[in-house]
Formats: sequence, C-alpha cells, structure tokens
Amino acid sequence: MDPITFELPHTLKAPKAAPSLGPTSRTMQPMITGTSVVAFKYKDGIMMAADCLGSYGSLARFRNENRFMQVGATTLLGASGDMSDFQFMKHKLEDLLTSEYDMDDGQSLGTKSVYKYVSNIMYGRRNKFDPLWNAYVVGGIDNGEAFLGYANLFGTTYQSDCIATGFGAHLAIPILRRRVEGRADEISEEEAVRILDDCMRVLLYRDCRAFNKQRRAKVTAQGVEISEPYALETDWSIADRVVGYGA
Amino acid sequence: MEFGLQLNERPMEAPREAHGHNHWNPYVDTGGTSLAIAGEDFVLVASDTRQSDGYNINTRYDSKAFELSNKTVLALSICSADGKRLYEILEQRAQLYFHKHDKPIGTEALAQLLSNTLYSRRMFPYYVFPILAGVKADGKGVAYSYDALGNMKDVTHIAYGSAAALVQPFLDSQVGFANQRNADPNRQLTRDQAMRIAIDAFTGSTERDIYTGDWLEIFVVDATGVHKEVRELKHD
Amino acid sequence: MTSIGTGYDLSVSTYSPDGRVFQVEYAQKAVDNSGTAIGLRVKDGVVLAVEKIKHSRLLVPNSNKRIMTADKNIGIATAGWMSDTRHLVKRARDEAHSYNSVYKSSIPAKIIAERMGMYVQAYTLYSAVRPFGVSTILASIDKDGPQLYMIEPSGQYVGYRGCAAGKGKQVAKTEIEKLNLEELTVREAVKEAARIIYAAHDDAKDKLFELELSWVCEESNRLHAHVPQSVLDEAIEYAERALDDDDDEMEEDDE
Repeated sequence: MDPITFELPHTLKAPKAAPSLGPTSRTMQPMITGTSVVAFKYKDGIMMAADCLGSYGSLARFRNENRFMQVGATTLLGASGDMSDFQFMKHKLEDLLTSEYDMDDGQSLGTKSVYKYVSNIMYGRRNKFDPLWNAYVVGGIDNGEAFLGYANLFGTTYQSDCIATGFGAHLAIPILRRRVEGRADEISEEEAVRILDDCMRVLLYRDCRAFNKQRRAKVTAQGVEISEPYALETDWSIADRVVGYGA
Repeated sequence: MEFGLQLNERPMEAPREAHGHNHWNPYVDTGGTSLAIAGEDFVLVASDTRQSDGYNINTRYDSKAFELSNKTVLALSICSADGKRLYEILEQRAQLYFHKHDKPIGTEALAQLLSNTLYSRRMFPYYVFPILAGVKADGKGVAYSYDALGNMKDVTHIAYGSAAALVQPFLDSQVGFANQRNADPNRQLTRDQAMRIAIDAFTGSTERDIYTGDWLEIFVVDATGVHKEVRELKHD
Repeated sequence: MTSIGTGYDLSVSTYSPDGRVFQVEYAQKAVDNSGTAIGLRVKDGVVLAVEKIKHSRLLVPNSNKRIMTADKNIGIATAGWMSDTRHLVKRARDEAHSYNSVYKSSIPAKIIAERMGMYVQAYTLYSAVRPFGVSTILASIDKDGPQLYMIEPSGQYVGYRGCAAGKGKQVAKTEIEKLNLEELTVREAVKEAARIIYAAHDDAKDKLFELELSWVCEESNRLHAHVPQSVLDEAIEYAERALDDDDDEMEEDDE
C-alpha cells in the first residue's frame, strides 16, 4: 500500500524562488500614516493644522498622534505620511539641535537651515532608493521674515505662501488660493484660524483618513505655539442629499 | 502493510512575502520650460517658474535658472530636485575654481564640467536637461545643450522642458530661419529681437502647456555681466 | 621630582617594581599645572567653575572656553591640557549621542562617567599611547537629580558632592569641605564657587585670569549653560569682597 501523503499548508512550503537570491528589497509602503498638513502665511507669521490620526491602512489605529514638532525657537515642522519615518526625522533633528547647542557659539538654527536639512535628508534617501515616506512642511520666522517650505519623499522642494500635503493639495489649496494668495500680510490671526478651520472641515468631510480631532500650530515673532487637540463643528444634515451617501 | 508518514515537502523557515513589484520610481517630472538664444555678443536664457506635480501647481515661483558666474547662466528643466542639486554642485565647483585659480571659471570650462558631472551619474542619471549659456573668453555668446547623461553640443538656440515641443520649432523658425526661402542665414538677432522671441515663446507656451506659466525669468548675459528681468505670465 | 622612574617611567605598559605606572602619575602632574577647576553639587543643581589663566592680554575676553557642553544637560570642566580636553569632550558628545540614538533618552551621569572612565583608562594600557593630561569634572542633572563626577588621568572616576582639580585644588578642597552642600542652592553655590576660585588663585604666579561659571539647574531649564552675565558679575563682586575681608583680617592679626 502506498504511504499516506498529505500536502503542507502553503504557508509552510518552501518559497519557489528563494527571495534571498533576488535584489535587495526594502519596505516600499508606509505603515502608520498621517493625512494632510495645511499651512499658510498670515500677518503675524505661519499657521498650520494637522489632525491627530495615525491610520493603519483604512483602520483608524492611533487617535492621539502629534504630527508637529517644534525645532529650535522659531521653526515648526508638520508631517504627513509614515509616522515612523517622521519619528526618525524628529530624532535626527533632536541630534542636530543638541550638537548645535553643544557648540556654545551663541548661534541658533534658523528656519531656512532646518528646511535645508530636512530637504537634504529627503533627497539623500531618495537617491538611496530608500525614501522616508513623508511630505513635510517647514514653517517659521527667519531673520524677521516668514518662511514656508515643502519637502517630500522624491526630494521635491518648494516654497509658497500656501502649502498643503496629501488630499489637502486637492481640497485645501483651492480655498487657500482664493483666500490667502496675494494677501497673506493682511490676514489677522482670527481670519487665519477661520480659513484654516474651513480647510480642515472640507478635508474632514471628504478625506476618509481625516479625523475630527486636530491641532493648530503657529509661528510668530513670539515663537512657536502648538495647540491642544480640538474638534471642529460639523453639520452632516445635508449628507443624505449627497449622491452615493447612505441609501 | 506499510503505514508510514511521508512529507511531500520538508517544512522550511517561515515563508517570506514575495515582492513582484518591488520597485519604487524615484523620478518625478515637475514641469517647466527653459530656452536659450545665443547672439553675436550676448546670450539670452529664459525659464518660467511654475513647479507642478501632476495637475497640481506646487508653487508659482520656483527658479530653475541660476547665475553660476558673472558670465554664465545655467537653466534646468524636468526634475526640480535633481536640478537644484546639480546647480549646487556646479556652484560649489565654480567657487572652488575661483579660490584655487584666483579668477572666475570660464563658460567653456563650466560647460565641460557640467558634462562630466552628468556623466558621473551615468548609472543613476540626474533627470534634467540642462542648458548652459554665457559669454566665452572671446566675448562671443554661446549656449550649450545637454541630455541627462552629459552629451553636450553648442547651439544657437535650444528649448527644453514641458513645452519644448512647442518652443523648439518656433525658435528653429525665428532664430534659425529654418525653411525661410528669402532669409539671410548669416543674419544675427539683436537683443531686442531675442527678447521678444523669448517672451512670445513663453506667452504662447503658457496658453497651450499646463506646466508652463506664472512668471518668467529672463537673463541676458554679455561682456558687462548678467542682467536679470522677471516678467509675469498667466497664472491659470 | 619626588620619584625618579629609573627606566620604568617611559611606558604605560610597564609597572615599576613597587607597582606604579609612572606615566599616569606624570599625567597627573600635567593636571596639577593647570588653572583650578571645581564642581559643586548642591540640592537643586550643579555648579562648575574654572580659573582660566590667560597667558596674554591680547586674548579676546570670554574666548577659549574651558567649560564645555557634552549633551544638553551635561557640562564638562577640566584641569589639564586643553587639546586633550577637546578630544575627551568630543568623545563625551559621541557617547551621549550614541546612548540617545539607542535609548532615545539622555545619558545618565553614571553611565557617561563610566564610559569616559573606561575610555581614559584604555590610554593607561598600551605603550603606543600616552595617558590624558586631564582631570574631567562632569556635571549634570539626570532622572536621579544633580550629579557630579570627576575622571582622573588613571581612568578612576568617582562621584562627588564637591571636587577640585588643578593648581589650587588643595585650597579649593579645604574651602569646599567647609560648605554645607546639601543645604546650598545653586544661586548661593555660584557665589561660593567664585569665591573659592578667587581664593585658590595665586596672584603672584598668574596675574591674569578669567572666571568661568556654569550651571545645570531648574533656572537653566535643566540645561547646562554658562551663568547669565548678571549672575557672574554678582558672583565676582562677592568673591572680591570676600578676598578683601580676608586681607583685612590678616592685617588685624599682624597688629
């Protein structure tokens, strides 16, 4: 009689092609992600907003993330994309801050220097085919002048009066173009907050990875201020009239 | 009767996920257009300042033409990140040359240096199509055009970038007098004429190419140095 | 010189017959030639003070700092060769950085003291190297509160409430022993430190000197920093007054 044979489950079978013989592979997808960062210049400096959600795919995994970092006295960093890569970047910046402090030469890191540093890391990692999966917004006051810059995983960088990452680039930028572009230095803090909240509300309605718990941050001549999390007032009463919503 | 247990295949280490599509593309096209027109004793370089990412306009003002010395201008196009880094490298090398030789680096030397720099990255090219323009040691205007790998050629006129296909034939006609039966092939453009051709090229491109627009930076280089001018293009 | 090496003093890799390594002792001599450095650990922080002897009037005031920062909360004051000091401070910074990149928290004082001790000690083992001519005073506030350590050229490191190195260390130690370090605040300690440096200064040998003062405390946000100018001025005034009083007393005694 033939011996009894059975098939092993596929998970225990030897891989057909041994992956170790292939090219070096790296994780090419983000894990825990943050969605849009919205930022623009106003009369007193820079306003920025980002929500507190760290998504795991479509799962709202971490609901109390802080996607801002204060870098030195006058610089603010906002991050979207992979949160572990953001933590890595934060660590690098802390190192940089420490070595600058140790110099004891009476100089401090300006916003433009921080921006260049972040940009160089992003471009350097793209060149290694091992990108940090982020889009960063760096804002601050450098030599009395408001500065706002962007850097992403391709090493692409630009400066603008209004910057938004991710879905924000589609949904918030049109609002900012209308309400900020060309008149940034006329916008009071109250108006800036209204504009920011309006942008974040649109994102909250339409971006499935957005979350109604967010932080606002600003940089003025007085320094950096990152708010405690707060919620936006929303109105879903018209939702059932939107095509595709509910029944 | 034999009643043994036989495994078809022996168990191995835990299976690893096989990545079929394990490639990330580091290249991005951020759009924009640059051109150069070489005259007898001057050269004109023009670039728009729009930076795009797909249908999004990232910013309306991101320069991609830079002064490398008081007689040379470098204009990039396609990938802004690579372009900026290439400019930084050349700028540093020009600085180094100045300190070593106690005189500014010449346009011809920079042109060859740019070619070498591009070719040094033959296996992972800078995604840029540079134009280097300036006045030579003899005071004559010159423009060099390159491909991304470092192949170099001096030209009288060149257009690169997202609207190159629109601008190049226009320059061929208006600067090179191509297919103009009665044109004098030796006729030289004046600065004014070159300026008007450059502006027309960009206003036209702005209408038809979504990646070109916002602002136009024009550099005229002659024996007296680099003269920069910024003009508005349509912001739509 | 008290002891003649008689051939056993050329290398750190050879003991003398009575069990000494002369090169290490000579390194200690290098330390003893230096301007005094002291550290005081008090109830709410640590104070470092250095008598920076100036070899020329042409030096820019406050230049050539002898108190340096190894990590945001760690200060280093040394007695001995400045070139060796800079090397050791770099090492301390690297250690602090490496600890932080592994544990994402700032390095505890006892760990950095141990690592620096091990590093310095390694230079007492091989014939190809020379021991560091530096005594390193290390001040910080970590999670266990204010910390003060001193690392000798031998690699020996010890935790202290108060310590001194350099030319005036005998005078300084005597003065430090009189202080009630447990009760002192950093504000008071700064003045006492200034007074001790002034007392340990030998005006006959070294005319020009500058007082360097730094602290790690709540007032400096737990960062190691040079004290503010106003605090420094106040401390110097206090130190000079104390010296004058001393002189007066001595004159009275003479009568």
